[in-house]
Amino acid sequence: MTTPLPQFDPLLHQPLRTQIAAFLAARGEATFSELKQALEATDGNLDSHMTKFIDAGYVKTRKQAAATGRAQTVFSLTPAGRKALAAYIAQLHALVALSEAAPATPKRLKPV
Amino acid sequence: MQDAESRLQTIQSMLNAGQRSVHLERHTLLIWGITGGLLCAFSDPVLSMVESTNLRALAVLLWLSFWLGSAALLDHTLTRRARQLREETLPFAQAQIGRAWRLLFGLGILGTEATFFYGGGLMVYPLWLVLLGLGIFLFGLFSRALIEWIGICTVLLGITALAAGLPIGGMRWLAASCFAIGLPLAGTLSLRTDGKALAMRHAALAVWLAAVLLAAVLMTSMTRLGARPPESRPVAIGAFHPEPGAQLLLLPAGTVAHIRLDLQSPLLAASPQASLPVTLRQPIVLSTRDGQPDGGYQLSGQTWHQLSEGLLDLRINAIRVALLGQTAELQVHAIFHAANPTLSLP
Repeated sequence: MTTPLPQFDPLLHQPLRTQIAAFLAARGEATFSELKQALEATDGNLDSHMTKFIDAGYVKTRKQAAATGRAQTVFSLTPAGRKALAAYIAQLHALVALSEAAPATPKRLKPV
Repeated sequence: MQDAESRLQTIQSMLNAGQRSVHLERHTLLIWGITGGLLCAFSDPVLSMVESTNLRALAVLLWLSFWLGSAALLDHTLTRRARQLREETLPFAQAQIGRAWRLLFGLGILGTEATFFYGGGLMVYPLWLVLLGLGIFLFGLFSRALIEWIGICTVLLGITALAAGLPIGGMRWLAASCFAIGLPLAGTLSLRTDGKALAMRHAALAVWLAAVLLAAVLMTSMTRLGARPPESRPVAIGAFHPEPGAQLLLLPAGTVAHIRLDLQSPLLAASPQASLPVTLRQPIVLSTRDGQPDGGYQLSGQTWHQLSEGLLDLRINAIRVALLGQTAELQVHAIFHAANPTLSLP
């Protein structure tokens, strides 16, 4: 008998995007600079991932005035993004539980 | 499967990074530290100039509200500007803790005010230390572990100072030291030991404790040295002739002193002549300036103390009304507590 493996959300099943979602979930909201610093990502890389998140409706943005005069973008998870992250974490836990419950590989018996 | 576990660990570490995103700005520690330290050190000398109890209560309320309110406003403005310059937001947790911090200080002001009406003035500095420690601990919960430990140590210092019966002068300097030295030092040490080994952070905690305690002990000793009366021979009260300058007056055992009752009550009025004679059980030396006692006293075999140190306190435990024929008597049971019992109530 085989147990079907869970179908992961392709948007969250990418290492950097998983980290972005987890960081935003805990912090509430963050600017581009804060995300870049926390994740040690390059501008281009982070920008492309954030665009994907925004297009999927997982992340929303708002503008706030910066001391330099130009407006800065603040990112936060949408309810859909939070729900997707929670579901993704639950799937990972289920997978870990599955691996722990699986019987150990049988030892090869010695011929008598 | 190992991939799933490692992903869960990554998520966990990012959740921690997001939750532990509270960052105390350097100016925050300096503003609160210096304001708190100066208030602890100089509030009593400044406000004791107001003689009426009600007026002093009002003066304390205005004095503390003005300085602590100004500190809160300045800190809020500078923090906002610093965050904007760094293109950062204020994390939700930090905004909430900031509110809790201001609430703790508001409670401190109300607690100090309450001592004017309900007694317990000796608890003012330990109360502020406990509230400061709780505030630091709250910040530490969402920041670095060393800040948490320093918060706990500050709470324990406040409780220990009260339990050990530290004189109020010592408590005042301990509170001033925890604010003015402890807060900025906590920020510096936590930044320097961030991510370092546990032993290193324990050593930082020891350095913090040593710096705070040493400063408090030094300031207490220096104040005592400055207030030490002249090394002249005490003159017995019978032979005492008031002169300009400092003199020492000896009250031998058996001297009868009078406690003058100054009763403030809408119900009862004390006669201006009302007084309670008490007898000294041991000799006591008083320091005088220009012929008047200046609050310094020395019990036999002890060092010099000031009345303001709070070693002497009078506590009323019970009040009872008894009828004696056609008159009523108000029976008051009070405890006169001293570091070394010298006075006996008849």
